[in-house]
Amino acid sequence: MFDAIMEQILVIARDAWAFMAGLLIVVALLGGLYYILQGTAGAAFGASRMTSTAIIGVIGLVIVVLFAFLFLPQIAEMLKSFQPKPPF
Amino acid sequence: MSGITSLLLSFLREAWIALAGAFLAFAMLAAIAQVLRVSSASVLGANLWVWQAVSALVSIIVLGLFAFLGIPEIMRSVQSSFPTAGGCGPIGELGTLASALIGGLAALRMLKAMFASMFSASIGGSSTFANALIECGEAIFGMILASAAVPLAAYFLGTC
Repeated sequence: MFDAIMEQILVIARDAWAFMAGLLIVVALLGGLYYILQGTAGAAFGASRMTSTAIIGVIGLVIVVLFAFLFLPQIAEMLKSFQPKPPF
Repeated sequence: MSGITSLLLSFLREAWIALAGAFLAFAMLAAIAQVLRVSSASVLGANLWVWQAVSALVSIIVLGLFAFLGIPEIMRSVQSSFPTAGGCGPIGELGTLASALIGGLAALRMLKAMFASMFSASIGGSSTFANALIECGEAIFGMILASAAVPLAAYFLGTC
């Protein structure tokens, strides 16, 4: 009875997921570019702290993106396995 | 009467399954929105925003676990203490129908409250978890009241 509505909701949710994932990649790439610029600028005029901050920032961004693309699907699978049958 | 009961309950069960699926989809959308917020805030250097997004992500996971593990157990425990039939004849059948419907509607209302909370989190609003818990409490309280009202009505209207 609710299958047609559910299909529509899932289509919208899939589109939104793809949009969010694409936006995350774009933001991460822009952030990575910014950190690379910061690192090279720091290396050019001898600011070692600036360079190391930029390197840590790039590593953090990579971790966040890996978290989003590896951990979230696992969480979704776990929640899907917990999806309850009607308790009535 | 039993045919009507089973028809209405099958309708409510299908609604429960659809709502649970939509809840899961929106939970994942809310989670990836918070991850996007973490990444953009870390690029901007906004530490407070990062921690807000991390705590929102944790609360989304906790909300999902509560909705999928907590609500069915609460419903089973409340329904097990719910009187199914307090009399005989048409009043007894009505009591059975009412108790089944009250249980199904209360379960759906609790899941709907969780879904609204998750939906607001997925579009970036405050997760309104407190409102969802208040609505769950109202549903349980209503079931407890009904569990007292059904035997009383059966006693006054149609005891054997």
